[in-house]
Parts: sequence; C-alpha cells; structure tokens
Amino acid sequence: MPEIRVTPLGAGQDVGRSCILVSIAGKNVMLDCGMHMGFNDDRRFPDFSYITQNGRLTDFLDCVIISHFHLDHCGALPYFSEMVGYDGPIYMTHPTQAICPILLEDYRKIAVDKKGEANFFTSQMIKDCMKKVVAVHLHQTVQVDDELEIKAYYAGHVLGAAMFQIKVGSESVVYTGDYNMTPDRHLGAAWIDKCRPNLLITESTYATTIRDSKRCRERDFLKKVHETVERGGKVLIPVFALGRAQELCILLETFWERMNLKVPIYFSTGLTEKANHYYKLFITWTNQKIRKTFVQRNMFEFKHIKAFDRAFADNPGPMVVFATPGMLHAGQSLQIFRKWAGNEKNMVIMPGYCVQGTVGHKILSGQRKLEMEGRQVLEVKMQVEYMSFSAHADAKGIMQLVGQAEPESVLLVHGEAKKMEFLKQKIEQEFRVNCYMPANGETVTLPTSPSIPVGISLGLLKQEMAQAGLLPEAKKPRLLHGTLIMKDSNLRLVSSEQALKELGLAEHQLRFTCRVHLHDTRKEQETAMRVHSHLKSILKDHCVQHLPDGSVTVESILIQAAAHSEDPGTKVLLVSWTYQDEELGSYLTSLLKKGLPQAPS
Amino acid sequence: MDPECSRLLPALCAVLADPRQPVVDDTCLEKLLDWFKTVTEAESSLLMLQENPCLVELLSHVLKLQDVSSRVLSFSLRLAGIFAAQENCFQYLQQGELLPGLFGEAGPLSRAAWTVPTVRSGWIQGLCSLAQHPSALHFLADHGAIDTIFSLQGDSSLFVASAASQLLVHILALSMCSRAKGHSGPVGGDWPACAQKIVGHIEESLHSATTPQVTQALNVLTTTFGRCHSPWTEALWTRLNPLVACLLERDPIPAAHSLVDLLLSVVRAPVFSSSDCGLWETVARTLSCLSPTQAGPLAVGILKLQHCPQELRAQAFGVLLQPLDCVLKAMAQAPGLPGLLDGAAGDSMMEDTLLSSKSACVGLLCRTLAHLEELQPLPQRPSPWPQAPLLGAAVTILRFCDGSAVPASSMGNHLCGTLAGCVRVQRAALDFLGMLSQGTSPQELVTQVFAVLLEYLKSPDSSPTVLKKAFQAMLRWLLSSAKTAGCSDLSRHTVLVLRELFPVLQKRLCSPCWEVRDSALEFLTHLSRNWGGQADFRHALLGSEVPKLAWQLLQDPEGYVRASAVTAVGQLSSRGLHASPTSPEHPEAQQGLLSEFLHILSEDSEGFPRRAVMQVFTEWLRDGHADVAHDTEQFVATVLQVMSQDLDWEVRAQGLELALVFLAQILGQPDPHCPYAVALPKAAPPGLLTEVLQTLCRVRLFEFVFRALFDCDRPVAQKSCDLLLFLRDKTAPCSHPQEAGGSPDSASMEATLQRWRAGEQGQPLGDLEPEAVLAILGSIDLEGLQGMLAKSSDHMERSPQSLLKDMLATVHVLEENEADCY
Repeated sequence: MPEIRVTPLGAGQDVGRSCILVSIAGKNVMLDCGMHMGFNDDRRFPDFSYITQNGRLTDFLDCVIISHFHLDHCGALPYFSEMVGYDGPIYMTHPTQAICPILLEDYRKIAVDKKGEANFFTSQMIKDCMKKVVAVHLHQTVQVDDELEIKAYYAGHVLGAAMFQIKVGSESVVYTGDYNMTPDRHLGAAWIDKCRPNLLITESTYATTIRDSKRCRERDFLKKVHETVERGGKVLIPVFALGRAQELCILLETFWERMNLKVPIYFSTGLTEKANHYYKLFITWTNQKIRKTFVQRNMFEFKHIKAFDRAFADNPGPMVVFATPGMLHAGQSLQIFRKWAGNEKNMVIMPGYCVQGTVGHKILSGQRKLEMEGRQVLEVKMQVEYMSFSAHADAKGIMQLVGQAEPESVLLVHGEAKKMEFLKQKIEQEFRVNCYMPANGETVTLPTSPSIPVGISLGLLKQEMAQAGLLPEAKKPRLLHGTLIMKDSNLRLVSSEQALKELGLAEHQLRFTCRVHLHDTRKEQETAMRVHSHLKSILKDHCVQHLPDGSVTVESILIQAAAHSEDPGTKVLLVSWTYQDEELGSYLTSLLKKGLPQAPS
Repeated sequence: MDPECSRLLPALCAVLADPRQPVVDDTCLEKLLDWFKTVTEAESSLLMLQENPCLVELLSHVLKLQDVSSRVLSFSLRLAGIFAAQENCFQYLQQGELLPGLFGEAGPLSRAAWTVPTVRSGWIQGLCSLAQHPSALHFLADHGAIDTIFSLQGDSSLFVASAASQLLVHILALSMCSRAKGHSGPVGGDWPACAQKIVGHIEESLHSATTPQVTQALNVLTTTFGRCHSPWTEALWTRLNPLVACLLERDPIPAAHSLVDLLLSVVRAPVFSSSDCGLWETVARTLSCLSPTQAGPLAVGILKLQHCPQELRAQAFGVLLQPLDCVLKAMAQAPGLPGLLDGAAGDSMMEDTLLSSKSACVGLLCRTLAHLEELQPLPQRPSPWPQAPLLGAAVTILRFCDGSAVPASSMGNHLCGTLAGCVRVQRAALDFLGMLSQGTSPQELVTQVFAVLLEYLKSPDSSPTVLKKAFQAMLRWLLSSAKTAGCSDLSRHTVLVLRELFPVLQKRLCSPCWEVRDSALEFLTHLSRNWGGQADFRHALLGSEVPKLAWQLLQDPEGYVRASAVTAVGQLSSRGLHASPTSPEHPEAQQGLLSEFLHILSEDSEGFPRRAVMQVFTEWLRDGHADVAHDTEQFVATVLQVMSQDLDWEVRAQGLELALVFLAQILGQPDPHCPYAVALPKAAPPGLLTEVLQTLCRVRLFEFVFRALFDCDRPVAQKSCDLLLFLRDKTAPCSHPQEAGGSPDSASMEATLQRWRAGEQGQPLGDLEPEAVLAILGSIDLEGLQGMLAKSSDHMERSPQSLLKDMLATVHVLEENEADCY
C-alpha cells in the first residue's frame, strides 16, 4: 500500500527547531534543519541519529529543503552537512541562500564568543554548506531527480520565505514553513494555488489567535520611540542582523521623514549596506507598494539611519540605536545596554523573542537587578518594552490557506499542543479532512491511492461511441469495457480483438452452459418452436432465430431441446452463451426456468 | 548545593506544583535537570532531599494532582530517577511510597497523561537513572515495569521506542552484573530472573512473524553487544545465534538493516575475539543471503576488523567489488584492463539490481563507491588492493555519467542511459577517484584520470558541486603525481596537464556561479601553496591569465569570493607569482597589492574579505614578505590603524595575532607550545627593551592592545590580555613601578584606561612613553583579568542561580508575552 510518512524531529507540538522528515513514494525529504537557541550543547540541534540509523545520510535523504532564513529553520544546516555528513542537495530560494550565511555567521560569532560551546561549525563550514545549495525561483518546478520535483510558493513572513510543494508522480505534500496571510510594510501575503496535495503541513504558531492589525503595534512602537527621544532619552533596539531590523528601519525612516525629526538613528553592525543590497536585489520579493515606489525612492536607502561607531554611545542627547545581537546575550547590544540601563529616561525595545539564559530574557521577565561579573549589580532603570513583530498567519489565515490549497489531509507543526488541538478540531469540522498533530519523534502514516494513467485506444472509443451513440461528457463517468494491456511499462485499454492482435494470441471461446428441465410431453422440435415463439414475444429488441437444425439462437446464446433419458414427459433445454452475453444468458436461463406459457389448446 | 539556590528552591517547587501557573519552557526544565544531575554527582542525594524538603513535597504533590501539566509530570519522573540513583536515597523515597506512585501501575501509567509522549519518555528516563543498584531491579520486577518497557519498544514515538530499547539493555546489564559478582557467566538456563525475562522476550520477538518486532529485538541486541563486553554476552550470543541464523531462512529476510547492525556490533565486541560461537558462519551466510545493497555495510564493517577469517574477508571484499566489476565488464571493449573479480561468474543478482531501476542502480553505485572510499586509506584494507581496476571502474563510471563512454555491451548501454548526467553518482565517483590518488597507479590509467577530470572541469554540464569535487580530485592527483615523480621538478606529463588546466581554470574563474569561482580560487591557493616554488608551475601559471583574473576577483560582488581571492592573491604574491591587472612583471604592482588589501580592510562591507586580508598580512609578516620587510614598522602601524576600529571582532582578534607576531619578531619567539605562556624562560636585556618599547609606541600598538583589553567581545579581550602578559613578563627587569607610576604621563594613561574599562572608548591614549607603558603594565591586574575572561561571556546568565531566578521571574509575565518566536 503506498503511503506518505511524516516524522517531525523538531517543531512537533513545539516552537523550537523545525526539522520534519517526509517520506513520499519512496523518496525521503527533510523539511528545514533548524536550531534551538535556548541550548548551548548538542540539544540545540535536532537529533539526527534517527536518520543516521538508516545508513549513510546522503544515500537515505534525497534532498533537504529550507523554507526561510530564520535560525530555527536553518541554524543546524552547516552542522548537518559538514559535521554529520550530509553531502546531497539543499534547496532554498535565492534570497534565503543570500541571507542565510549572514545569520549563521552572526550566530557563530556569538557562539564562539561564549566559551565552552563545543561542537559548533566554523566559518569555512558555513561556506562549504552554502555551496551545496541549489537556489530556486518562485513557481519554478525543480526536478530533484527523475521522479521527485519541488516547487516554491510565496510565503510572506520574511524576505525569501517560501512554501514548498513536494511531488512524486501523482502524490504531493505541501510544507508551508512560516507564513503570513496578511501583507505587512515590506512583504506581501502568502499565496498558493489550488494544488490539492495529499497532505498540507502547516505551521500553527497562532493557532488560536486572531491577531490585531500590525498597524497598531507599529503605531505603539513609534509612539514609544518618539516619546523617549522627545524627553532626551536614548532608545536601544536589539536586533538580529537581518529581517526585523529592516522592517523597523523602514518604519522609523518614514516616521522621521514625516515628523521632520533630527534625532540620530544608528545601525550598529555595519551590515545595513549588505542588508539593503539584498533588499534591493530581491525587490521582487517585497510587496507591491515597495516595488511601485522603488523607481522614485528606494525604501531601503535610509536617509536618517547612519552607521554606528562605538564612541557614539557616550554622546550626550537622544538617539536611537539598532544593535546586534537581538537577545542581549553578548557583544555590542549588551555593551550599550549596560551603559544606558541606569538612566530612567532611556528605553530598550525588544522586538522579538528571547531565550532563557540571556539578559534579554531577564529584563523581559521583569528582573531589574542584574548580577554582573565581580559581584557587581546592574540596576536597570531604563524602560523595558516588548513588542512582537513576528509575522505568522493567525487562525483565520491558516484556515484561509487550507481552503486555498484544498488538501486531502492537514498536519500541524510549529505550535503548542493545546492550541493545535483547537485548530485541529476546527479544520476537521470545517473542511471534513483528517488533521494530524504529531509530537516530535511520532510518525504519521497516510495511505495514498496513487492514480495510474491508462491510455484508451481510439478504436475502442469509436466503437463505444458507435454503440452508445452519445458524446462523452466531461463530468459524467461512463462504464467502458475493454482489455487492459501493459506494453513498455504503459497501460492501455483496447478492444479484445486489438489486444489479441497486438499480443499475437489466438482467440479462445469460453462458453457458459446450463441445463433447464421443462415439463413438456411434446416432441423436441415442438418444444424448440415453443421456446422460439416465447422468447420472440419477450425479447423484442433482440434477434431471436429458429435455425433449420431445430436450435434457437438469441445473439450468441444457443438453445437446444433434447429428450430426457429417463423421463419422457420432461425435456432438457441445453443453453450456452459466450462471456460477452453473460448478462443476457443469465436472464434467459432464469426466464426459461419459470417455464413456457401454456400453448393454446 | 549553593545556599542561594537552596533559598530559591521552595518557591520554584511551589510554582511547578501549581497547575494554575503556566509552565516555563522546556529548555528551563531540561537545564534544571542538568543542574540536579551535576549536584547529585558531587554530593549525597539523600542529604539534599533532607535539606530541601520542598523537593520531596513537589514529587508527592505532582502525584496527587490530576491536572498536572505533562511537562511537569515528565520532569518529576526524571527528577525522581536522578535522586533514586543513589541506593540510600532510593530507600528513602521508597519509604514514602513515592517511587511506586510515580513508576508503578497506579501512577502516570494509568492516567490520561500517558498518551503524551513526553510523559512516557520521562517515565523511561526516570527509570534509566534509577536503575543503578540491585534494589532497583527488585523494584522493577515488583511493579511490572519490565512488561511496560516491552510494550514501549513499539511506541508510536521514535524517541520513546528507542529509549525503551536502551533501558532494556541497561536493565539486562545491571541484572547480569549484579549476579556476575560470584559467577563467571550464566551456565545453562541459570540466568537471573530479570535477565531471563528480557532474553526470553528477545527470543520470542525473534520468532515473531512481524518485522517490527524482529527489528526491536535486533536493536536491543545491537545495543547490548555494543555496550556490554562482559563474558556473559558470549553466552547470550551462543543462545541467540541459532535464532538469528533462522532469520536468514525467511524470504524476504526481515529487518535486514538491523540484522547487519547487530552482526557488526557482535563482530566488533572484544569478547568474541578469542572464540567463534558460530558467529563467522552466520556472518558469511548473511553476506551471501542479503541483496547487494543490504550486504554492503556488512562487508565494509567486516573489512575494517583487525581480526577475522581470511575467507570471510575475501567474501566481503567480493561483495564490494561486484558492482564495479559489472561496470568494468559492461565496458568490456577496453583491452588489457584487468578485471576486479577475474574468473568469477557474473553475479546475476548484482546485474538485476543495476538494471532494475535508476534509483536502485544509482543507490548501489553510490554506496559501493563510498564504502570503498572509506576502506582505501585504512591499514587493514584488503591486500592486494586492486588499485588499477578500481581506478578503471571509477573512470568508467565518470565516463558513463558524462556520456563519453562507448560501451560495447547491452549492460553498458543500459548503464550509459541510466547514469547520464547523474550528479549523485558523479559526486561519489569523484570523491572516490580523489581518494585513489593515494595509491600507485599505472601511468596509462593516470593519464586517463587526468583526461576525465579535465573533461569534467571543462564540461558546461558540470554542476557547481560536481566542479568543486572535480577540483578537489584534480588537486589530489596533481600533488600525488609530483610525489611519485620523485624529483623536484614536475613530470613532463604533469606539465602537460597544467598546460591544459590553466585555460580551464581561467574559464571557471569567470563563471557566473559564485560557488564555482570560489572553488576555482581555493584550488589555485592550494596549488600555489604546494607548488609555488616549482619552475614549471610558475611558468605555466604566469603564462596564463589566471593571476590577473584572481586579482580582478578582489572586486567580486560575492563576499566569499572576495575573501578567497584575497587568500589566493596573497599566496601568489608570497610566492612572487603576483600580477596586477596592468603590469604583471613590474615590481610596483606589489605596492599596488598592499594598498588594494588595505583598501579592502578599510572599506569592504563584509567580514570575510577583511578577515582574509588580516590573515594574509599576518602570514606576510611572519614569512618576511618583501613589501613588509622593507619597512615593517610602517606596515604594522598602518595595518593596526586601519583595522583597530573594525566592527568584526574576528578581524580585531586577527589584528592581535599580527601584533603578537610583530612582538615575537622583535622580542623573541614565545613558547611554541603555548604562545601566550605567562612564565617565559628569559627576559630581554634592558637596553633592547627600551628600544623595542619605543618602536611599539611608534606603531601605536599599545593604543590598539589596551583598547582591545576592554573590548565588548570577549575573545578579543582575552587575546589582548594574553599578549600583554607576554609583554609584561618580557619587560619585567626594566619595570620600576615605584618610579614610573608617579609620572604624569602614566597617570593620565591610567585615567583613560579607567574610562575605557567603563565602556567609554572615545578618548585616544595619545603619544606614549615607554616608562608610562611599563608602569601601566605593572599596575593592571592582568592575571585577575585573565581568570575572568577565561569564563564564558554568559557564565553569569548560565549559572543555576540565574536559571532559578529566571524561572521564578517568568511566571508572572508569561501570560503577558505568551509564547513567541521569530
């Protein structure tokens, strides 16, 4: 029985490191290869030993697909390809291929900075890993091998994020990665065609939430930044090098322009140029508004945002600084935070999630006295704000996507169990499809019924048309008889004559026979005549003949009357017919068994 | 336990025991368990429980709660297991009936929570920690745990099923070890009850008609023989060998992959090195019964063994050679080519596999090539090693793939059709071909190797990954051909190859794919590093456009390529092979390169090229590159000035490396085994030192190094600290802190450093005098700083106290922020 098997190694009932194994028509595909930033040891990576059990990775896996550049989706990739030993192809979109190494490098530097972080990949490994990447365009069908093909669809969420359709023959799976069904300031909404996959694997981060408009959060953000700089305070926004940083930069740039503000905005990593280069390069991946205005003004060329120099942090007066890393766990953002934390006029805005073990996590959980090295205590007097700018589809958006793709089944990943449970019920009720939510390590097996293409010979179609006399209707199934033959791995339905001819076989007749006993004292010839006239009166549309040898025929059915060897008052009717007239033969037999009508006396 | 942690524990336990409180994320609970594990390894668990009664209260509370979260329940099971690993603590928990409640039938097993894999996993992990002593064995037997573990082997979760198998092995070993103290091994049926039950279950599973059950039994046995090496394992194998052998009689053979793993685990077990127990016979039968694809891993495993019957080795090697033998036979028209398995009749099963489908053929060839590649460098590889036919086979496969083969047989035609353009096979064959460069091969075949590699490098159809591997294989073959030539000059043949190679390299340096340009540059770097001094190589290189193109790639749009170009051009320049785009022969071009590199260092928006420049500069300084040597001071001063404010800490760290090389050159080498050693054998004479310090002041090295000492990125600060310690120890005899400490110069310097330490790095140090530097060096507590910097930059946040505080603090805000992600 053909089947599709799905086993999450990560993202099964959690929002951690996404890594989902899909087995479809004998092909094995890994969807995403993410890292959990909350761990400092091997637990940060998915447990690949469950794949290595199956022999060499490169032999077992046909390909790896990365949905977007966030580390919880691609962070384990260099480890997987350069340290665990996967040497096969990796597919991702062009922007993801360009941006992925920047973030991996960004994180590697932090990991190296923290000593004791063993088993981490090097810069060379990131490069070698990226050389194995095959970049794909949206809606381009990419042939991984003769049987396996993949196709990317726009997912919103972040620049270059894609949903992937994986197809082998007539079976297909769609993996959404992270997606957003509403356009935001720089990206459009996710879209997929009515591809009717056997299975849709969708993220479910906001499975139970209907998110308010991002506009409100943006307004709130701008208001807070503005108020702080107005009162002479400094604003620190810890970010990762690429992604949310650019979104917030656009926001501030536009606001500064509109309000004619002069307060300096700095971006600390020196990556702005590179980031902007990518946004310019991949302008087609942004939303319509940005693309339209691109000719007059490039949204990613910032007039007000300047490169940061470390000495600027000590300058008096207000300023806004974007600094990496995003969780205040090392480097420059942490250094600036330490400098500014003691002043209540200042503010730190955390625009994303922080894992435990970082200063970002501490201040978000309300801790205001932070222990520093040498028994020093840092008192945090500055204001601490949290604003989630993550762009995921909410419950409504997920339902919308399911409706759009029309899958046979749905599987939820990248969410919390309780929330998934709710959404699962909703999907099952509304779309009448099965919905699954496996935990990490659990395998969901879906039986599939593969459609096997069969060609029909023109002769048979013409014959059928001539007999039925009707033109075929597209949506109305019709029964068609023929002989199924397989030649050169192709199946064809042909007429039996043609099949015999093509296969070089002689025809053998198979006849069904039956004896019917009739109580009739008359001679055999007379009985036969009675049978003839009886059948002629009933079967008006058929050709009923009385042959000179005394037998009666109806189409291929032959009826002969004979005397009973022991009982002269009984006649035996020998009825025989071919396979083609099976229906009529059975009918006639049952008719004769009821007896003949009384002859007029 | 730390008193601060002990103080925080009750509150944390109360939070965990409260079902209304939202549960913190999994990572916190995992880290908490890590911490408990560390603590219980160092101190008595019993004492800890007695001193922290809240822990037992938490466990009993969790037991009573019906609506406890599955995370907390799983955590509690694992925690109880950690405590109960010590026998006295186990007894203590037993008294309170806690353990039966948690692990017995009345516990989570009977609750709805059991449907959650995390809970089942916690139950297994808890038992695994607990099963460390004989009392634990009785406990497991009394509470029917073994039967539950049996059923969990077939769990829907891979993680749970695998953990259940591991636990069974653990219990079996514990049971045997507890008994083995007085016995050398089980005699006859005299196995301890617990072990008997497990072995009986394995036997039953091996008899089973369902493959998953057989797989489970084989997996348990694989782990057992992999982990346990006591004499009893021999008895176990003697008992089970007939059952394992019986599996070979079934058609199809069930769980072939697991069977191979088991046999490999057994043959590797040291306990079997002296005896046989029918093992080799089973292995030999397995080799002949399995399909070619399944038998490969077993064959390679056997060939890696140090001791094994010669006949079996020959059989195993035959399994690996067969697919390649078929390939060679398919190209039968190649005259004089020795076969791989001469005399042996063609294996029809092998041919069937190669002919059956494309994926089967590709899979078999890739696996075989990978196995042979693995085997090639090993000392225990089969001897004689059929280098020539293997090379012939690899070349043939590559020719099938690129369509240049002209096969004479129908099999050959079929392979040609199947392998044409197959990237997977190309990659595997190129890797294998590269590995074969280590052996000695007939010249005729070597010629063929170079020809096929050149074809691949030239071919417009080669994908970037294939090209990368072709470059790597080419490099290995070129280097090995020079080695075998045995003289300083390259062989005539190699020179001919180079002549053909450079136009190809030129083409690849202009490839639209950055991956290809980068691989070509990496190839160029390696080649010139090895052959920079060879006249023939120099001649061929300088006669081509390659140096010019490499220079042009310094402006490549891709950062990775720019970095590789910097390394390559830097290498060429070191070897005097450098050429600027305008005037390849003129010496002033060299100066152009230095300023080009300085330009990259100051202007490039990406870290990779800047890092590469620093590496090249450090190498130049170390090797006495002509441009550097004519005014080293000026060179160092310029480089330090350009890179001191770099945003990439790895560039700054590399700058310190350069500073250290400079110091070593003027002060004498640091200990090669420990470049930053604090205690140095000899200090420099005072007269020289003053001069040296003046030089260091002139190049503004101190400004950079002291700034780096307070760098926000710890590796930079650490490196700077090590460098200053080296310098201080070298300058120790000159230093008179009492006299120098009072100078106004050093006072202002100290004040500036204080500000830098506080994070205000705006103000420069200004012009320094050696005395002031010496005074400062003596006054900074460098050892203290070094100790502090040796710790992880987030060691405060990662401490257990910090974890407990975070978990407590999170409780109140969790709902507010909800779970979020990127």
